[in-house]
Amino acid sequence: MAYLTTFFWGWLLGSLLLGLAMGWISVVQHGQGVSKNLKRWLAALAVIVVAASLSRVVPGRFGYWLDLGLIMFAIYLCGCAVGSWLRDWVVSRSAPAA
Amino acid sequence: MVAGCDSAGHLWAIAAWTSTEPLEADLAQRSTAALKDTVLDKRRIAVAGRDVTFAAEAFSEDGRLSAVVSVEAVPGVRMVNDETRLVPEAKPFVWSAERDVVRVTLGGSSPLPSSKSKLMEAARAALGGVEVADRMNLARGAPQRFDNAALLLLDQIAKLKDGKITLSDNKVTLAGMTRELGGREAIAAALKNLPEGYSVAANEVKAPPYIFQAYKDPVAVTLTLTGYVPDNNVHAALVAAAGRKFFSEKVVDNLKASIGAPSGFAAAVVPALGALSRLSTGTLVVTDREVKLSGDALYEAAAAEIRADLGKEFPQNWQFKPEISVKPAAAPVDATVCQQLFADLLGKARIRFESGKADIVADSAGLLDRLIETALRCPNANIEVAGHTDSDGEEPANLALSEKRAQAVTDYLVKAGLPANRFSRSATAARSRLPAMIPTRARRRTAASISW
Repeated sequence: MAYLTTFFWGWLLGSLLLGLAMGWISVVQHGQGVSKNLKRWLAALAVIVVAASLSRVVPGRFGYWLDLGLIMFAIYLCGCAVGSWLRDWVVSRSAPAA
Repeated sequence: MVAGCDSAGHLWAIAAWTSTEPLEADLAQRSTAALKDTVLDKRRIAVAGRDVTFAAEAFSEDGRLSAVVSVEAVPGVRMVNDETRLVPEAKPFVWSAERDVVRVTLGGSSPLPSSKSKLMEAARAALGGVEVADRMNLARGAPQRFDNAALLLLDQIAKLKDGKITLSDNKVTLAGMTRELGGREAIAAALKNLPEGYSVAANEVKAPPYIFQAYKDPVAVTLTLTGYVPDNNVHAALVAAAGRKFFSEKVVDNLKASIGAPSGFAAAVVPALGALSRLSTGTLVVTDREVKLSGDALYEAAAAEIRADLGKEFPQNWQFKPEISVKPAAAPVDATVCQQLFADLLGKARIRFESGKADIVADSAGLLDRLIETALRCPNANIEVAGHTDSDGEEPANLALSEKRAQAVTDYLVKAGLPANRFSRSATAARSRLPAMIPTRARRRTAASISW
């Protein structure tokens, strides 16, 4: 992980910034949500993919691409969380006191 | 945020597209660097993503495991596909060095790449300019101190003109021909320094023949000695013996000292020179333990005696190959000429006896043969054999000794085929300085005498 972080810090920073941006705009621009069933399927898919990565069952380049994707996606999600929290914080500070 | 997922997906795709090959190259380089100090053969590293396929042949199980761990520890490597194995074990562990006209070929097995390169370097250094071909493969199972033994054997291959040295486990086998005389002895001496536990199973190294030659030239009146002698003492002894045996020839000494002489060299060459001295013209060639004497004896009995007796005087395992013919008999002469010829011969040398005894020394054989040849030319002349001693000691004893010596010479001449009734003997106590041949016309119709 440390090696990947060092080697691909540019791409990971890009994912983080993208996540921040998406998180920032998501506070004011709600998209259409997903159904409960789909959420379950997505959660199961995420668990399978993470398990596949940790157990190293996917060999060679595909395994590398899987690891890379997961890391970038995890950082993107972190960026989203931080971005939306920041936007929420900025909005709550600038709102007049009730 | 979902739209952002698309963007993140694109970003991932671009990252995967552009980073895979640099990442693989970087991991391959780091893996190779991690194995820098590990001794392996046939090493191959292939990287797919972050997975390294590592194939190699290791020289020990510990080394193999250590190499795999080293690659696994490279930062960024996810998995190592271990395709390593041990170098095959050679049993018996055979190494060889073979020399032919143009090159030296190192073959068989070597325990480590470092040993292999060390042996190649040593071979090039020892052989100075000769092409060295490497046919060695790598194998486990080398005996202890293999390098030391192989390096010592490489020094020996440098002494061979052609041949092969094989090391099978810790047994050494040698065959071939040395470059120089004494090479066999030098190699045998060097093999005593083989590391502990090593031994020589077979040493069939041969040296060039050890040659000694003597040529008696009746025209130039020379005896030419060429070839080798074992040392300066034998050299001096042979030249001195030649001087005694060849009383009229000038000795031309072209001998060189060299080790490698067969045992009993001097004991064989001295009597062979004596036989050569009895020939009118001839060549003596001593090749290792073979003595070849060719030439013309002065008369038939001498030829038969040389053919029959010379080989008996040689040490054990020596061979004698006589090619003796008989010189055509010279024209008959009368007693006066015979007398002159006797005088000429005895003016150059005298018949020699053991001190205080009546035994003729072997060195006088050449002179006696000349006297006999001369006597055969005047068959009608009677011959007086006159013995003399020096003036030391009691006169009666000296007279008796003179008589015995005259008898010994007469016996020698009769044995050579001269009729006994041609001889008469006389003896004096004091050594005569008179000419060797004295006519005794008063007593015989024609006569000559041999005195000393």
